[in-house]
Amino acid sequence: MGAKQEIAPGAHFAPRAKRVLWLFMHGGPSHMDLWDPKPDLAKYAGQPLPGSFGEVMTRRKVAKNPLLGPVKPFRQHGQSGLPISEFLPHMARHADSLCVLRSCHGDSVNHPQSVYQMNTGSILMGKPSVGSWVAYGLGSENQNMPAFIVLPDPRGGLKGGPPAWGSGFLPATFQGTTFRPGNKPILNLNPPAERSPERQAALAKFIQQTNRGHAAQRDQDDTLEARIRAYELAFRMQTAAPEIVDLSRETDATRKLYALDQKDCAEFGTRCLLARRMLERDVRFVQLYSGDTLGWDAHKGVLQNHTTWCRRTDAPIAGLFDDLKARGLWDDTLIIWGGEFGRMPMSEQGTGRDHNPWGYSVVLAGGAVRGGLAYGATDPIGLRAEQNKIHVHDLHATLLHILGIDHERLTVKHHGKDERLTDVSGNVMKEILA
Amino acid sequence: MKVIQTLILLMTAYWATADDHWSWQPLKRPAVPDDSRYTNPIDALITAKLRPHNLSLAPEADRRTLIRRLTFNLTGLPPTPAAVMAFLEDTDPRAYEKLVDRLLASPAYGEHWAQHWLDLARFAETDGFEHDKIRPNAWRYRDWVINALNADLPYNAFVQQQIAGDLLHPKDPQAAIATGFLLAGQDMPDINLLAERRHMILNEMTSTVGSALLGVTVGCAQCHDHKFDPVSQREFYQMRAFFESDLQLKEIKSGPLTIRAMRTGKPTATHMMVRGDFRRTGDAVQAAFPKTLNTAQGQSTEGSRTELARWLTHPQNATAMRLTANRLWQQHFGRPLATPEDFGTQGQPPTHPALLDWLATELPRQKWSLKAMHKLIVSSATWKQSSLNAGNDPSWKQGLQTDPKNRLWSRQDRRRLTGEMLRDTLLFTGGNLNPERGGPGVRPPLPKEITSTLLRNQWPVSAKAEDHRRRSVYLFARRNLRFPFFDLFDRPAGAESCSRRMTSTTAPQSLALLNSDFVRQSARHFATRVAKETQEPDEQVRHCYQLLFNRHPAAEEFAAARALAGPKGEHLTDLALGLFNSNELLYVD
Repeated sequence: MGAKQEIAPGAHFAPRAKRVLWLFMHGGPSHMDLWDPKPDLAKYAGQPLPGSFGEVMTRRKVAKNPLLGPVKPFRQHGQSGLPISEFLPHMARHADSLCVLRSCHGDSVNHPQSVYQMNTGSILMGKPSVGSWVAYGLGSENQNMPAFIVLPDPRGGLKGGPPAWGSGFLPATFQGTTFRPGNKPILNLNPPAERSPERQAALAKFIQQTNRGHAAQRDQDDTLEARIRAYELAFRMQTAAPEIVDLSRETDATRKLYALDQKDCAEFGTRCLLARRMLERDVRFVQLYSGDTLGWDAHKGVLQNHTTWCRRTDAPIAGLFDDLKARGLWDDTLIIWGGEFGRMPMSEQGTGRDHNPWGYSVVLAGGAVRGGLAYGATDPIGLRAEQNKIHVHDLHATLLHILGIDHERLTVKHHGKDERLTDVSGNVMKEILA
Repeated sequence: MKVIQTLILLMTAYWATADDHWSWQPLKRPAVPDDSRYTNPIDALITAKLRPHNLSLAPEADRRTLIRRLTFNLTGLPPTPAAVMAFLEDTDPRAYEKLVDRLLASPAYGEHWAQHWLDLARFAETDGFEHDKIRPNAWRYRDWVINALNADLPYNAFVQQQIAGDLLHPKDPQAAIATGFLLAGQDMPDINLLAERRHMILNEMTSTVGSALLGVTVGCAQCHDHKFDPVSQREFYQMRAFFESDLQLKEIKSGPLTIRAMRTGKPTATHMMVRGDFRRTGDAVQAAFPKTLNTAQGQSTEGSRTELARWLTHPQNATAMRLTANRLWQQHFGRPLATPEDFGTQGQPPTHPALLDWLATELPRQKWSLKAMHKLIVSSATWKQSSLNAGNDPSWKQGLQTDPKNRLWSRQDRRRLTGEMLRDTLLFTGGNLNPERGGPGVRPPLPKEITSTLLRNQWPVSAKAEDHRRRSVYLFARRNLRFPFFDLFDRPAGAESCSRRMTSTTAPQSLALLNSDFVRQSARHFATRVAKETQEPDEQVRHCYQLLFNRHPAAEEFAAARALAGPKGEHLTDLALGLFNSNELLYVD
């Protein structure tokens, strides 16, 4: 959204998608109860983890607890027969369009570190988030809107907080702009009620005139010109942003598609609908969070926790997928569904599960990836990624690749070094590309 | 055989490059060229580089511009109209010098300059990570920095106390507070394994000392050697060894206070960590100074922080001294003489190596007085140059052509205010800045859209409304939530040491200056003040220009401003807001 794009290296090769929609399930959804069926886990439920698995680092010392069998049955869906648990009956309708990565893994058993890693590649706070890198690399397609928009869960409490969508050592221009449903989508967007449109116009004219006069007496200063353009963009955003969040012209059929008529789904569904309106207007990167402070963090009662969060999100997401397909947005949008990690096969407090960064699932969708595919595998009980392992860096490298960016060439000088999203690693998973 | 020869050749070439790198060559006092026009060696050294390009220094800025530039630069605030008047009327040849002395003696100096150091110290008052817990006494370190700068604590002592104050002055609780520098970074006290927490803090501390005090990125060496880095992995852990036995994972009692500080502990075996993994202990190492950077030829015999502190401030520690000189230049001119963040081989060489070395050797000669260094720099003709072509000067055009990016300093650069300076200026010009000094960080109200992204009760608003109008340096620094107004204007995240802020230009900055509660409220206060001090609408418009820009409006400006303010001055608040949004306020000539 900067009036001045410091550097815009642009795409390195033809992209497979133009936009990203990231559905972030905060707290860590349970892969073996949603996407990664584990018959052996059912078989050995109640028994301790076999010694052959060696030592396991956990957050809550659950390594010696009895195994907890999957809490929901799985069924095969679509022509592909992709197995999905009964927690997600609506997304299951799209089974043939989903690419389930079952072998993801990260580096920390803690929430904030893992939230940071999934968003920035590093477990430490303060690095640029993926959306910022993409905005920095590709710029904005919509000249009236920021390139990177975040729709946080209004219940608040993301672990790690706003640095998750921060721009780190990239200019503030590229940080995620938070949007809210309702008539005040962006902080400070609207002129105050007491300022009439005439006064607003007079004020705007005065500012631009004053700043042009000032710049005219100071030669060769691009920053002064840039700031004049930043005001022009601000004034354009004041018109464009309310239009984006104005849902009044959406039909009843659309509202129903996003399950806005269902009490449990209305809040998340509204944000899904907002996300579609942004993608439709070529906002480059939209990230949507589900989950308050605890969110999907089912330390006890996975069944109850995931029943709640799946009910809130499953139908709206499926509706969003239908809508993207119907409006021709599906093919050039990359969709990501996932949390900061998955969950342990061992039980916690009897019916819960602890954090598991060692093996979990992330789901991709959209025209760029192969649908109906389960890629990679965890071990027989879902503890660790085992086949075709995908580190968070690999996921990021693939994401950038899909957008036409070589992750090794998207760099910025910081402290004298060329920094990049994927640090010194990252492999593009070509096998999952359509 | 040939392969080996080639290899040897290549290696020799590489080591030669690394060893020859400018920043760790021994420091020698450079000769200052004879130049009868200038008494200040800075000017002689700058003009020596201008002359081959047929350039000379731009004329001195007018006095109004000078006092405005100087007051912002030294105190972070604009001058009052009365101060400008007094300076314009002062016929004493020492008028400028007196002004510099007065500003350096003002407490506002320390409050403004402390922020540069707090950026370097990645200072925040919370842990970061999930719980972002408050460090109740962290503000004492912030106050220590402000007070040390105001008292002009010699720079070597200033640094030494932050590394080893508890050892150097065991009876002074303030000196222990100073070591809060080492522990000001992010931390996760509830992490599962204490060994992991220790490892992370020690590595972070070592990296911070590397970037903040030596100007080299050493953080990457925690995992493995890097071809171009002056500090090897072994040397990284040798530096880290200075801290290991004294790191306390719990807050300590120091007099009546509970603070995060260093304290002598039991001797600890120190090791390398294989690939930076805290579970994989490597070779044992002893505390030692990195060889390449050891121009002071120091040797550690006991591995104590005192030794490290003295080494870091040794006048012959070339990298450290050049770094300090470079930063001083940057804070006065907006740009450094060499890439500041990194003095390793990846950084840019300085444009003026002799000037850099002259400044680096001058600091100890000035008895390490930062105020003396400030005075020296702001009294130079180089610093006082005009930043714009006021009088159709033909040589100005030549300067722009020959030196378009002003690498040679043939004119002064325009400087953008920081978010902190802008907030303070809006409060100050409205007669509304609460001058109270020191004490716990204050939390002005924030929109609920912002606080709702945090955990519950992480931003309880300070009870006393007058506290909400205190200087920006006293606002509570929550690591997981940069104060939104400062965030917009590129305040660093407090995640790592920051030696130079970015200056981005964005639409949300404009929106905040047009519509935020704080700015609108400031405009109301400003208009109220103006209306109280002047009655007649014409006078009110002129007063606005005096308070904000220290000048009269030109005829055209006056007409536009008068029109915006309304026939009876009923829209004076709109005029205030319009002027708050002007480039003339945000950019200092």
